[in-house]
Amino acid sequence: MAVLRPYLYTGGVHKHGLLIELLEDLGGYIIQKVVTGTEVNIIMLIPEKDIPIVKEQADELLGMMAEAPLTGVEIAVVSPTLASHHLPHSACDVAEYLRHPGANTNMIGLARGMGRRVSLSMDYERKLINEHDIVVFTFGSFSDCIINKKPKLFEGIEIPIVVTGGPDLKTEEVAGSDLYVGNIGRTSHRLRKSEEVSALDKLNEEVGKIADNIRRQQAKDPLAVLPARVMKEVENQVPEIRTVLSPAPLTLQLNGLRVKLPYDEFHERLEKLEFDEGVTLSELANISRSKMKNYILIKIKSKSDVGFAI
Amino acid sequence: MDSLEIFAVESIVASEQEFYRKIIEDNMASLRLAPAIGRIKVVLRPEDSLFQMAIILRDVGTRVTTVDIADVEAKPVAGEIIISIKKEQYIPELLGKLWERYGKANISQPDRWTVAISTDKPEEEANFLKDLMVADPRHRLHENLVDFAIRVTPEGFRVRYHLYKGNRFIFVASEEALKREWIEETESMLEELIKGGKK
Repeated sequence: MAVLRPYLYTGGVHKHGLLIELLEDLGGYIIQKVVTGTEVNIIMLIPEKDIPIVKEQADELLGMMAEAPLTGVEIAVVSPTLASHHLPHSACDVAEYLRHPGANTNMIGLARGMGRRVSLSMDYERKLINEHDIVVFTFGSFSDCIINKKPKLFEGIEIPIVVTGGPDLKTEEVAGSDLYVGNIGRTSHRLRKSEEVSALDKLNEEVGKIADNIRRQQAKDPLAVLPARVMKEVENQVPEIRTVLSPAPLTLQLNGLRVKLPYDEFHERLEKLEFDEGVTLSELANISRSKMKNYILIKIKSKSDVGFAI
Repeated sequence: MDSLEIFAVESIVASEQEFYRKIIEDNMASLRLAPAIGRIKVVLRPEDSLFQMAIILRDVGTRVTTVDIADVEAKPVAGEIIISIKKEQYIPELLGKLWERYGKANISQPDRWTVAISTDKPEEEANFLKDLMVADPRHRLHENLVDFAIRVTPEGFRVRYHLYKGNRFIFVASEEALKREWIEETESMLEELIKGGKK
């Protein structure tokens, strides 16, 4: 199987179709295409050995290519509540910054996450968070709260946990977290000072490492099918996906994807989704109702579960 | 009293103090409260889930009357009063008062800087209007101050106590039931503020 590398292309709309055609010829995948005015952003997976060819084409179109290490990663950004104390700064700044290297982020505000003794999360919220690849908790400025009180919100969460907060703590001090990034505490202004931006840069870099780690673990027992390939087949076989207006109607995850179509109406068609090799998707993946709205969640089984990979 | 002649934030951990000072500054700026606050002291005790704040307000301007924001001219022949607006920000309050007195039907706005009122006694009414109180900044200040207190308090601290008397404001918030001594501490913070600073 060819190794695919994630890249972000930024350039003019003019003739960008040439790049898409080239990518299709090479066997790459387009994850997301966003056209804003005369600009286009394309997040794509390119076969490793063909990267120079794509770069050449991008240069010809006077566009820019940059590596996007968080492509195909869905991240939950969780703030204690949706009150003005936490939003739009700094939780939204964190979510927005994580999108730069290609991640898809969802903001989740807990119903009763605020406070010290009184903070708690609901079963529904934990399940929703567990649907993602990585979770980022945005906490406040007091080290006492972050060390002693807030970690109870991590209970029942099975995915890697990243915590942001004001004080400069070590990851080991925040029990249960996989990474702590300081200098991103509670603020009432946009994060744009140099130390704040460098904290966000550090967050991106470290989250990228966590994603790489998950990928490395996965490589030991690869998925039965690439999520990007499922995405392409859904686009081909369920044309209704093109009428969905949500951003990223098909959201890639490291081990599956979220299809933003109503479950009751479409789950059977997705189960019967056929691949060239003659297998259907239900043999390769678990298809369930997502906790997010009424969407469909596809979690792809590993090669050892299925017995083969395509 | 100068604006913000005392601005103290106290907490055990010095770095957290700085973070909190910034939050307070930002919220003061977005509610345009900085010119109204003379002295402010905030004490944070996260380990007790406690937030204490004492504020002494400055004398915030006098009440705004019509002559401060507009020229009033009586036209006895036409039976009209023409108000030419100089400061647009108070128009909603002014119009509200005028509608109450003369009725909407008698008031017209030929353009955004002019309000025309038709009345039987233009001279008398014009004299009355000149001294009409349009807006009271103290009232707006009170609203902003309460908003400010809620915004700067950590969100989980939902048990609150506040006292607003003259130019003095104290605010105590916690997650637990409030203790009497916490309020007393805040009152003595206020006493300190009254004594401290330049006169």
